[in-house]
Amino acid sequence: MKFVPSRRALLAVGAASVLALSACGGGDDEASSSGGGESAPAASKLVVIITPSPDNVFFKAEQDAAAAQAKGLGYETLVLSHDDDPTKQSQQFDTAISRKAAAIILDNAGADASVTAIQRAKDANIPTFLIDREINKTGVAVAQIVSNNAQGAGLGGQEFAKLMGNKGEYAELTGKPTDTNAGVRSKGYHGILDQYPDLKMVAQQSANWDQAEALQKTQTILQAHPNIKGIIAGNDTMALGAYAAVQAAKKDIIVVGFDGSPDVVSSIQKKAIKATVLQPASKIAQMAVDQADAYIKAGGKTDQAEKQSIDCVLVNADNAATVKDFAVAGS
Amino acid sequence: MTDTHVAAPAPTAAAPPPEEPRNTALARAALLLLRGRTLVVLVVLIIIFSSISSEYLTQSNLILMTKHVAINAILAIGVTFVILTGGIDLSVGSIAGLASMVAGGLLFKGLNFPGGTVFFSVAVVILIGIVVGALVGAVNGLLITRFKVAPFIATLGMLYVARGAAQLHSNGGTYPDLAGTEARGNTGFGFIGVDSLLGIPVAVWIMVVVAAAAIVVTTKTPFGKHIFAVGGNERAAVLSGIRVNRVKIAVYVISGACAALAGLLLTSELGAAYPDTATTYELNAIAAAVLGGTALAGGRGTIIGTVMGAFVIGFLSDGLVLVGVSTFWQSVVKGAVIIFAVITEQAQQRLQSSLNRRTA
Repeated sequence: MKFVPSRRALLAVGAASVLALSACGGGDDEASSSGGGESAPAASKLVVIITPSPDNVFFKAEQDAAAAQAKGLGYETLVLSHDDDPTKQSQQFDTAISRKAAAIILDNAGADASVTAIQRAKDANIPTFLIDREINKTGVAVAQIVSNNAQGAGLGGQEFAKLMGNKGEYAELTGKPTDTNAGVRSKGYHGILDQYPDLKMVAQQSANWDQAEALQKTQTILQAHPNIKGIIAGNDTMALGAYAAVQAAKKDIIVVGFDGSPDVVSSIQKKAIKATVLQPASKIAQMAVDQADAYIKAGGKTDQAEKQSIDCVLVNADNAATVKDFAVAGS
Repeated sequence: MTDTHVAAPAPTAAAPPPEEPRNTALARAALLLLRGRTLVVLVVLIIIFSSISSEYLTQSNLILMTKHVAINAILAIGVTFVILTGGIDLSVGSIAGLASMVAGGLLFKGLNFPGGTVFFSVAVVILIGIVVGALVGAVNGLLITRFKVAPFIATLGMLYVARGAAQLHSNGGTYPDLAGTEARGNTGFGFIGVDSLLGIPVAVWIMVVVAAAAIVVTTKTPFGKHIFAVGGNERAAVLSGIRVNRVKIAVYVISGACAALAGLLLTSELGAAYPDTATTYELNAIAAAVLGGTALAGGRGTIIGTVMGAFVIGFLSDGLVLVGVSTFWQSVVKGAVIIFAVITEQAQQRLQSSLNRRTA
């Protein structure tokens, strides 16, 4: 083959432009470590924070709150994302162990698939503090601090029933079927909604937590059931997708979500989406870091129960203005 | 069956002579049916779903379903160009996501310079989005032709690179509001994904234009002939003086540009750009091409077949949602239809070659 330099140059330009275009976005380095400023050996001052992909603002808020709290307490941080892949999570645990982390804050990648990794850290004398999602075993992690999804779904269900006037046709968009929270939330909604005989669910579809999928499925559902008065979604990204479909169809339909994400909160303020259930993500992440700090300082002891459940808060037009970074003022 | 018949040494004396032409006529009829199988399947789907739900065959639902089809059809048309040359493009979903984020970022926060921020008009933003897709496609093409990376591997790598670039663009976040403002002069992004012209969604018009252009390019131009030549027999194409590398790079550029366009349509409709936009859409696009009779080995296929394939997938998926079938069954049915399509495709090939041998 002949050597043609111009093609290579073109390739380089192409590659560079992709990088440049993406680089103009964020400046933060995700896996950045910052110095603690104290003289203690670095090995014992590292807090490793592992969460699902920060694509979802909810997990981003979790990461940010945990990292800020840990830095405030004088720790170094290593922030990683397992992208809901237990294998990747397991490798990240190996990293934490080899770097002799002081503690791990984890929003895990699977209730069963995470147990052995956490056990491995425990065997290496590294305590793990779980946030947001539980695992199916006790005595492995030091703490499991989760928002009360069942209670939150109850709140969402009640508000939805009230907005619907306790009657009429509605559709439900559920989350990824393999995610425990998808089932817990749906059950929580129906615990309330099924008590009203005049509230009739005419369609139930999974949109896999995805915004575009929620949009298309809602459009089709509205075709099949033009008299739908409300749509209740298992999370906020699906609520946003559903609302885009409602808007395109120029209909007046009640949409309720779950998470308390900033996009939905601002939508509520614009009187578009009606309500969401806020999970106190930032508060839970901070609590986990505080408890990790106390545990380290007490030489490996805790006075807290392992399972801790934090109540969710309903966000509607009345209090949307007071919500900031997954926290309602005064809660 | 037909193969063994042909392979048999000779018709025995006992076989009655009129049997042969009748068989051939039957085979011809079967071949015709197999050739038009995508259309047959589509008609069957419409009959089944409209008998279950009276809402299926309404004008508004047909328009909506066609709009849903448009995004996959545009992706699939691009992918068809690549498959016709014997390649594959796994990166189209990620390219759609990257174009979506680039356009979303330009609309939502503009382009930041040290001296200030510039906002572009919607037309320019769309153009930039498509150019980004074409550039990524060009990188794919160069990796495959210059660095001799197998298309499957090169575009698999690009699937990750482009998706990662999309995530880096916003540091994982969503650009929530792409309506633009009058002051910035960037309103109207909803036109391509939300608005309609003459009662038909703009997205559908775009699909029609893209499909028409692709049909002309593949059937009426020398470039089109070169694509089929490269896919049919690359060695022969080289020997007959076709600049194979140029053809290959061009098809990946076309595929990238189509993917970017599809991503922009999706983003416009959603009114928001998020980095996971169009994840795994490459599989639907390849499925549409295969369903439409494009041979993965290259050299054989049509744009119209691919569009029909996209219609089958879209009308099937929407129909299953409309009648309330669970998500799990939706996956199973979709997969089964794709496998069925490939089996019938091979049956068609066997029948065709056996008929050719008989008439020869």
